[in-house]
Amino acid sequence: MKTLTKLALVLIPAITLSMTALAHDPSMHVKKAEKADCSKMDHSKMDMKDPVAIAMMKKCMKQSEAAKKSMKDMDHSKMEDMDHSKMKDMDHSKMKDMDHSKMKDMDHSKMKKAEHKANEKDDNNEHNH
Amino acid sequence: MKIVKLLLLLAVLGIGAAATVMYSGVVDVAADEPHSDLVYWLLEETRENAIQQAAKDIEVPDLSEPELLLTGGVDYEFMCSGCHLKPGQSESDMSIGLYPSPPNLTISNKEHEGHEHGDDIQNARKNFWVIKHGIKASGMPAWGKTHDDQRIWAMVAFIKQLPTLTPEQYQVLTAID
Repeated sequence: MKTLTKLALVLIPAITLSMTALAHDPSMHVKKAEKADCSKMDHSKMDMKDPVAIAMMKKCMKQSEAAKKSMKDMDHSKMEDMDHSKMKDMDHSKMKDMDHSKMKDMDHSKMKKAEHKANEKDDNNEHNH
Repeated sequence: MKIVKLLLLLAVLGIGAAATVMYSGVVDVAADEPHSDLVYWLLEETRENAIQQAAKDIEVPDLSEPELLLTGGVDYEFMCSGCHLKPGQSESDMSIGLYPSPPNLTISNKEHEGHEHGDDIQNARKNFWVIKHGIKASGMPAWGKTHDDQRIWAMVAFIKQLPTLTPEQYQVLTAID
């Protein structure tokens, strides 16, 4: 009887542990439609005769153009009700790199909406790529 | 006359034996119980020769066009990667659970164990035929019923490049637009 109890004490945890080792995260079953992560592309190391490199460039260019188009198509008229009181926590220290020389042609009458600042910054970043 | 009788007797015995095996339920059809080496060899040889024969006259188009990788990549990610894996992955539920195991397409043909693959052209023909027509009782569907030849060739082009791709390259090529 003692041997049986000992066996059970060893076997039950062992079997339970081995079963949990086979189980895995259910999120592995979820297929997510992801956007291309073009940030890791190193253009200097790319062979422009390689079909893989060309295809990657095409994909990233298409994605960047689509992002720009969606920004242009944004309906700014619906942004009037923005809650500016929630913007007090904005980190202004990160805005020091803004190129003010490019802002001379800005239409100041349209600056009611704070989103423009963010959009322009994104645009500049993409051009720099 | 004696020979005819003997042949007839053998045929009856053969049919009887086959019927006994079929209706007795002795054959284990569970996917977690592998075939014996002999049965595995018989099935694999039959499959490989059948595919080679069926695909031998297929004309292979130019598969170096980069645009093919974009179309084929997205289709591969959503239709194939669950079983045939992606760079950086060594197994999945499907690759473990299916029997026979689906080939890992992220490794080159030279690294595959078992049967011969032939040259690039033969391999492209074979992949096109398998994707289009599927393989009976293997879990491989016939994608040709819902996809045209152009899309299937794009998948073939992508599969050709797949063993050379890093996980980062794979992510970009297979992402949605």
